[in-house]
Amino acid sequence: MAYNLSDLRVLVIEDNQPMLDIIRSILFAFGVGEVYGVRNGETGFKLYCEIDPDLVICDWMMKPGDGIYFTEQVRSSPMSPNPFVPIILITGFSVKKRVMQARDAGVTEFLVKPFTAKDLYARIVQAIERPRKYIRSQNFFGPDRRRGGNRDDEYSGPKRRKNDTMDKFEKEEIELISKHINKTDFL
Amino acid sequence: MAEKYTADELKQILDPDKKEVKRKLPDFGDKLPKEITPPNFLKQKVGSGGLNVKILEKAQKLIDNNSVDFKPMAEPFLSQIGHTISQFEKDNPPTDKHRDYILLILSPAMQLKGHGGMFGYTLVTNIANMFIQFLEPIKTLDKNALEMINGFYAAIHAVIISEIKGDGGKDGAELLEELKAAWTRYKKKS
Repeated sequence: MAYNLSDLRVLVIEDNQPMLDIIRSILFAFGVGEVYGVRNGETGFKLYCEIDPDLVICDWMMKPGDGIYFTEQVRSSPMSPNPFVPIILITGFSVKKRVMQARDAGVTEFLVKPFTAKDLYARIVQAIERPRKYIRSQNFFGPDRRRGGNRDDEYSGPKRRKNDTMDKFEKEEIELISKHINKTDFL
Repeated sequence: MAEKYTADELKQILDPDKKEVKRKLPDFGDKLPKEITPPNFLKQKVGSGGLNVKILEKAQKLIDNNSVDFKPMAEPFLSQIGHTISQFEKDNPPTDKHRDYILLILSPAMQLKGHGGMFGYTLVTNIANMFIQFLEPIKTLDKNALEMINGFYAAIHAVIISEIKGDGGKDGAELLEELKAAWTRYKKKS
């Protein structure tokens, strides 16, 4: 068995045309059936409402309508056909502050540029295999920002192993992707 | 080409005042907080099993073998940085306005970092990454900070003008070491 992505409809929002072309061609290489591309968040949200995609890959810095604006529209606008759609935000920013900012806006996954095909695949796998629960609180609506729920039981002692410097999310992603790559034996 | 931002637009996107951000949230008509598990339509559509390594390799080749010329893409971002540095020196703004200029440098630096590595210029990504780490926390630009910014800018400019692709080998590693050392000196001075 292998993933069949041919029924998937993906919306890509990216203002840099060569980058948009690359992401589209990667998705087609993965076997995605329909890929729509637009170059800003405002047009992106209009198209999103029309096509109701299964997944969105969205750049951060664009105008009119950046990636955070787009995400907030998807999650909160009464016009949004599906406030639960997974949104992968792609950006050159990588500091924690920016990741938190994106998560607070309701982004599902964060992908740092430059990225590899495997990195993009890993985020898609996360959305498929480990979808987040959604939280609606007084001030927030979006995917649960605590992956894996309560993290109080995490080990807090000294870190001695070589890969201890890796973020827990990264470890989980690497494990997940390895599992899925090794499992397939077709082609 | 990507649109240019004003300092106010960048402030709204990158340094938003959290008190001002009040968005209307969807009403699920229940007591809050509420945990929702939406149906996993993605999984239902794609099934199980993942993708074959060969597909991932083929997809990676699309990145590795793309023939996009990064130089013309990088030039507007570089010139934005250069222009902002000159404008800062000319304006000599009060310190509460410094962050505006920093954001006007941070945004194109982020573009250079993100796109450099996608289009063959890994060294640009590596320098710009350091540049961003430097810019993110600072609020004001003193003489030393400006010197650092000029150093990062000159380094990225040189790599792009000289069309140094990849990680730049030994020279690239030395350049990164020099920038790191300059940053360490800056930290000691600040």
